[in-house]
Amino acid sequence: MPKSLEHTPIRQRDALLQLALPVITLGMFVGFGLVEPAMLSAANVANVLKQGALFFFLAAAQLVALITRGFDLSVGACVSLVSVVASMAMTTVTVAAGPIAGVAAGIATGLLVGAVIGAINGALVAYGKINPFVATLATMSIFGGLSTTISGGFPIFDLPRTFTFAFNEAWWLFLPAPVTMAVLVGMALHFVLSSTAPGRVLYLLGDSPAAAHAAGLRVRLHLCLAYVASGLLAALGGLLMTAQIGSGEPNLGTNLVLGSIAAAVVGGASLRGGKGTVLAPALGSLLVIGLSVGMNLLQINGQLQPVVIGAILILGAAFDLLRARTR
Amino acid sequence: MMPVLSLDTTLPCEPGSQGKAARPLLQLDGICKSFGGFQALTDVTFDLRPGEVHVLFGENGAGKSTLIQILCGVQKFDSGRYELFGQDIAGLSPAEARRRGISVVFQEFSLIPEMTVEENLYLGHELTRAGRLDKSEMRTRVRVVLDRLGFDLSPAARVSGLRRAQQQMVEIAKALLLECRVLVLDEPTASLTDHEAGQLLAMVEQLRGEGLGIIYVSHRMAEIDRLADRITVLRDGRHIATLPRERASHGELVELMTGRTFEKFYPEIRRDPGPVRLRIEGLSLPRGLAKNVSFEVRGGEVLGLAGLAGCGKSEVIRAAFGLEKSSGGKIEIGGRRLYHHGPREAIAAGICYLPSDRSREGLAMHQSIGANATMAALDVPKFSRRGFGLRLKAERAFTSEIVDRLKIRTPDLDATPDQLSGGNKQKVMIARGMSRDFDIYLFDEPTVGVDVQAKLQIYDVIKALAESGKAVVVASSELAEVLHLSHRLLVMREGRIVGLLEGAEATEDAVLSLFFDKRAAKEERGIR
Repeated sequence: MPKSLEHTPIRQRDALLQLALPVITLGMFVGFGLVEPAMLSAANVANVLKQGALFFFLAAAQLVALITRGFDLSVGACVSLVSVVASMAMTTVTVAAGPIAGVAAGIATGLLVGAVIGAINGALVAYGKINPFVATLATMSIFGGLSTTISGGFPIFDLPRTFTFAFNEAWWLFLPAPVTMAVLVGMALHFVLSSTAPGRVLYLLGDSPAAAHAAGLRVRLHLCLAYVASGLLAALGGLLMTAQIGSGEPNLGTNLVLGSIAAAVVGGASLRGGKGTVLAPALGSLLVIGLSVGMNLLQINGQLQPVVIGAILILGAAFDLLRARTR
Repeated sequence: MMPVLSLDTTLPCEPGSQGKAARPLLQLDGICKSFGGFQALTDVTFDLRPGEVHVLFGENGAGKSTLIQILCGVQKFDSGRYELFGQDIAGLSPAEARRRGISVVFQEFSLIPEMTVEENLYLGHELTRAGRLDKSEMRTRVRVVLDRLGFDLSPAARVSGLRRAQQQMVEIAKALLLECRVLVLDEPTASLTDHEAGQLLAMVEQLRGEGLGIIYVSHRMAEIDRLADRITVLRDGRHIATLPRERASHGELVELMTGRTFEKFYPEIRRDPGPVRLRIEGLSLPRGLAKNVSFEVRGGEVLGLAGLAGCGKSEVIRAAFGLEKSSGGKIEIGGRRLYHHGPREAIAAGICYLPSDRSREGLAMHQSIGANATMAALDVPKFSRRGFGLRLKAERAFTSEIVDRLKIRTPDLDATPDQLSGGNKQKVMIARGMSRDFDIYLFDEPTVGVDVQAKLQIYDVIKALAESGKAVVVASSELAEVLHLSHRLLVMREGRIVGLLEGAEATEDAVLSLFFDKRAAKEERGIR
């Protein structure tokens, strides 16, 4: 009996859903392009790619948390704090030991801050058994507040030129620096998630924590590591955004949280955990940023952007539900 | 193969009241059919009376499908006699069978997803008036059929938008739209939820009441109990028996279907005790779940744990594996004592625990079969380089090996357990036991919610493990199962071990009296 036949329609629907997002994204670019040809100009495409790359880091940070059936509301606060602290370290060390040492110190400090924030989130969620929503809402407030306090609410200027040039203006390997970074980091993340034991454990524990525990997997350790990875990815995003804007900004990440969840979910990560590849934040970021840039070009009121982000999040949740139904 | 029981296979059956005097709708005598060198049916006898549900029962490959295909003209038979509504039939085409009133609902649906319910129902025999489609007449008739079946379906709904159960209903409506006296349903509830299946069964009962003869193919005992008037068992293409429902117990049906007698249903497991692998001494658990439990298990033997639900048997093996915290006592593995261990340490020490609640604790339902099967072995060199980089090729090879070896029925290797049946889910979980070198296997309700075939395969796995020198513990609420599988049987009640039965003393009566006697004693004391 051709048992496999029973499953063909499901597979087809699944495949259709997977195609839906690339098609929607492409359609959106073409749509904006028809109304406003500037949308498809080389300069604008490069701009969308660059903005999308910056946003990708946050959506990827979200993906890692989503896989474990959690999420990370503190990514925005992490971006802000990283921006402030790294900028302070960078300017201070540059004065004392020159720009190269300053940039190195800034990046190291930024990544350290990201890792610490992630470790705190992870410890609260994994060992404190606090719901990720509550835990990261609290740390969002704490680290967001810290970044304004430390900076006194003012931007930190005089970043070394080396930094802004190398991580924003320069082209690496035929692509703008942030895009190259996003591609490299994306490939590394993909490798970790799909081909290493720790990556595999994240999917398993996100799907069923009890089953993962009964299989002898270190559930709490890996859960904690997931939030560290999330913090590190957000910190990378924060560093690149700081290079782009040219100063340490205490409010740099404030409005990015919801968008990062929307991008990851609409791209195929599931709020139920255990699902989603690096393609999810990649495609999701392009959609979110493409919409935002397109709306700017058409001079649609900027205040409407949160409305659009909210709509995308609902669309993503609807996709998620559809995908679950096909099972 | 020898018939297992010397049953008279042509039992004179008391038919249902409606069918007593009725002539059979169809009658098959001595039907043989071969495909090339393969003898699919040998000398099969079958008949169907009006107003009865006649269940066809047998393993996959027993010849049920071939028999149905012959009935409805899809296949020709080599020899034998086929009488339909009192007429001898030599060659029957599917179209003619349909015209004469035989309708078949196969497992694979024949609906066209992009068309509406009504278009599907009339596909191939559309009604016309003056050369044009008579849409209003078709719609009226479709409504009549749907109403009669009690289906809440719009004739204009697109089939692709319907749930699977609804598609099944359209399929049945299609079968009944033309005048039909014989309805064949091939595992109609296989893909339905319990609620949907209930609706379908009610419908089958209604149709039987209207005098249709229904041939019903199913493995599900509950459905057979509810619906069947008679049951015909096929095995290896032969007619084994036709029984009225009252005379067909589950045990007997399974014996007839598998050809294993009750004793043979459970495998004979050779006993060759080796060194002690697992020793539990004075184990106590919080809240009195276990009190001072001691036992040991040797390599090459199966130790059974029997007891009523809540007696503590499951908690004891969970504590051995480190999933429950003990409040006292010792757990030794291979002579080495484990302190405050969890599953991770237990696995490293060589214990494999297969939980009773597979969907919660046993499987990650939405991850691949391979990810599930290797879940407890991500640290072994076979599946990863120093516990980090996964060897995905080895994982795939292992997956394909276990799918073959455990006969896991799956659409493909990338499928996830949530797409599989209960028995196949259980087998995916059990595959974990082969992913690394374990010494001790703890089975907690190993066959809960699985079909008979999967059960037999799981017993074979247990046999193979024990005979290859592993220590096996089986905790089960199914008394016959622990009784027959284990070499030694521990009986637990209210957290204590109340008996150890071995060999001839391990009888159902002995175990049952151990289950209950303390309670009985208490009651006696109460009376005094």
